[in-house]
Amino acid sequence: MSPPDLGAILFTGAFGLIMIGILGIVISTHLVRIVLSIVLLETGANLLLMLSGYRPGAAAPIIIDGVVPAAMVDPVPQALVLTAIVIGVAVQAFMMTLVLRLRSVYGTLDIRELRARLERDLAQEAGIGLPTSDDAPDVAGVGTARAQGGDA
Amino acid sequence: MSPVLMFVLPLLGAFLLPIVARASTMAGRLFGPLVLTLNCVIGVLAWGAVSEQTQVIALGGFQPPFGIAFYVDRLALLFAIAVSLGVLLLWPDAGEDEAAQRENTLTLVLAAAATGLALSGDLFNIYVFYELTAVASYGLAAARRNGAAYAATLRYVVISSFGAALMLIGIALVYMATGTLNLAQLAQLAPGTLDGPLGLAAFVFILIGAGVKAELFPVNTWVPEVYAAASKRVAGLLAGIISKLALLIIVRLLVLVFQQPEALQILLTLGILGVITGELAAWYARDLTRMLAYSSIGQLGVMFIAFSIPGPAGLYAGLAVALHHMVVKPALFLLAERQGGALERLAGSAQASPVAAGLFILLALSLIGIPPLPGFWAKFLVVTAALAQPGTAYLLSVAVILLAVVVEASYLFRVIVQLYRRVPPTEVGDAHDGATLTVCAALGLALIAAVLWLAPLGNGLQGIAAQAADRAGYIEAVLPAGVSL
Amino acid sequence: MRNYVSLLFVAGLAFLLFVISGQLDFGAAPMLIGQAINQAAPEQVGAANIVTSVVLGYRALDTLGELAILFTAATAGGLMLGRARAGATHDPEAGFILRTAADLLFPLLLVVGLFIIVHGHLTPGGGFQGGVILAAAFFVPLLARPGTHFDHASFAVVEGLAGATFIVIGLFGLVYGGEFLAPLLGQGEMGSLLSAGTLPLLYIAVGLKVGSELAGLMAHIAAYEAVDS
Repeated sequence: MSPPDLGAILFTGAFGLIMIGILGIVISTHLVRIVLSIVLLETGANLLLMLSGYRPGAAAPIIIDGVVPAAMVDPVPQALVLTAIVIGVAVQAFMMTLVLRLRSVYGTLDIRELRARLERDLAQEAGIGLPTSDDAPDVAGVGTARAQGGDA
Repeated sequence: MSPVLMFVLPLLGAFLLPIVARASTMAGRLFGPLVLTLNCVIGVLAWGAVSEQTQVIALGGFQPPFGIAFYVDRLALLFAIAVSLGVLLLWPDAGEDEAAQRENTLTLVLAAAATGLALSGDLFNIYVFYELTAVASYGLAAARRNGAAYAATLRYVVISSFGAALMLIGIALVYMATGTLNLAQLAQLAPGTLDGPLGLAAFVFILIGAGVKAELFPVNTWVPEVYAAASKRVAGLLAGIISKLALLIIVRLLVLVFQQPEALQILLTLGILGVITGELAAWYARDLTRMLAYSSIGQLGVMFIAFSIPGPAGLYAGLAVALHHMVVKPALFLLAERQGGALERLAGSAQASPVAAGLFILLALSLIGIPPLPGFWAKFLVVTAALAQPGTAYLLSVAVILLAVVVEASYLFRVIVQLYRRVPPTEVGDAHDGATLTVCAALGLALIAAVLWLAPLGNGLQGIAAQAADRAGYIEAVLPAGVSL
Repeated sequence: MRNYVSLLFVAGLAFLLFVISGQLDFGAAPMLIGQAINQAAPEQVGAANIVTSVVLGYRALDTLGELAILFTAATAGGLMLGRARAGATHDPEAGFILRTAADLLFPLLLVVGLFIIVHGHLTPGGGFQGGVILAAAFFVPLLARPGTHFDHASFAVVEGLAGATFIVIGLFGLVYGGEFLAPLLGQGEMGSLLSAGTLPLLYIAVGLKVGSELAGLMAHIAAYEAVDS
């Protein structure tokens, strides 16, 4: 069997990470899993950007003891990915503080429940009823739109 | 004075604000507005020079395309001044404790980042400033620190991070195809390298990424919740100013790099969808904040339709709508600060603050597009430019815009009726506070001034749009005589 | 239902990416600016590590933006978490082995971090990498002995001053070098510690800022009281 193509492996890895990340964001219901999926997605994107600098047989762009290598890889994607990694870390750190606060305030990390609580809190603050059917049982205790004295 | 300072000074101010605030709380409160005022002054002073000739600033002394270049034409400087002015007017006066000081820091960073976005001429630099704007807006969106704010912000962060990763993938594809990141050099190389499926895919990825902030359909699901959960000033900042900057990036890329007609078609489709979903949702909304949020999605849809019209005519129309929205939306959100909440709660507001109610009517009429207010002229430009284009898609967009006007009139009049409803004096709410009212009045006066000086304003905008659409001029300014170090 | 639509969207995206990957040549990208920078950087900037000359020279503004993003995220995170209560509970102290190891690691991590920061223009490394190690140096003792007093105030001062130093060096570049963030102070002899002008100074500012910032944020998170534990 012929040796596998290096480019194909690396690109599959990058695109694979991206797809796993996107799939995770879209399917997960637990908040921490969503955060981890975002980490995977960003890792995949960074890997893809890194791969654009490769030259077969080229050395790292560092001058050691005054010797300049004959062929060097592209330094620009390395600088770009350095920046992108730090940006990713910053956003992930902030996301974790949000997760901590949500756990304290709402007691749950399930996004479906968080969604419902968010809608309820926003409706309560605005003083309107939740958009439910007029015949629904009054579980939330907030009252339906009609009961709140909706306008004519 | 170099326009670079318009980016550097607010950032320096943000870094130093925690230290200044520790030294003296009074200094901490005044520091931000002072820096922003200085910024506005620098911008206005630079206008004369930039009007004569576009400035290209090679940062670090490294010539583009190897270093990063700031491209300061009239459009960029206009937006830079608008950012400083807008953030100054919408400054969150949250108090003197540590949380307020952090909010002020975040607002200064937001101003710096948005200015950088307006001025930058390098693709990855745009990505960095875009992310900076995003992180600052995350903090500001959650600044109220109740459960709803956290949940709404988290949704926003997830969607925005997804978009940012896609934008990075798009930039990676562009770099792999062309080998450069400078917008002018990309404009030179695009016809050969980026006009195939690779270029279109890169455009779609970058569009989705920038579209999160520009409230593009379908990545705009975060908008109503965040605007409802954040303070109204922050909502005004995001809806009025930051969304326009995101739009500006997309426009620059369309003009310079992604010239294929499919790109314009995608933009047109998403714009039409945005108008339809936004206006219909606004019609169904039962509280003022969400109504304004959905309405802003609809207006941004109109801007997307305008920018999907090729040539200076489309740019002119889109610019007019964008600038008009930049004045009206923050004013409306400021008014909603006191009047926000269920529409029923608005009843009798006119008795408490007649000036506010009058301003609301003025702003609403302009938003709908009633002549002679500027909103009418802006939409008129879009419609005429779209009708001049061949193809049924543009006809459909005109129909959608006109229908949207009807829907807007319907829900905005519903609010006005509530405002002027007679209620017994005990049920009348609080009046607006003086400072907010002054800012809104100033914005209202700006609208009326625009009516009075319509012709010169229109000519000026047309000139700015023509300069922005001049692709060859951009390349010539940044890379005058080929490429050299 | 939502899951099926999402799966469809993801499948479509996967197909799109697969089609695109066929168009990309691995190892044959047109290195337009990369090639030119590789050739010109040793004379123009004078750093032995060409990636550093890109990070702090050609694309220094990106680095400033990146610093600002980290600063903003730390500020926003601090805003979210608020201030710890005076008598807040915290985890018990770790065992003997962990405490001793933390005490030994602290000076080692400091030295390694500072070494990587200061040699950023000569070998792979630099301000961000070294800064994270510095942050770990200050955080590991906190993990071993939770509840030790962490002086947030002085870390915040270091953070602010280091960030301001970066911009001030850049402004010196504007005044004396013609453009914001222009390299100053001559180039020295390539490969020695004192070379590449202001680049090592910029990296030191970056390293101190990142280190104090991340240490402060991690200490903040660690001190955050869990509601039910």
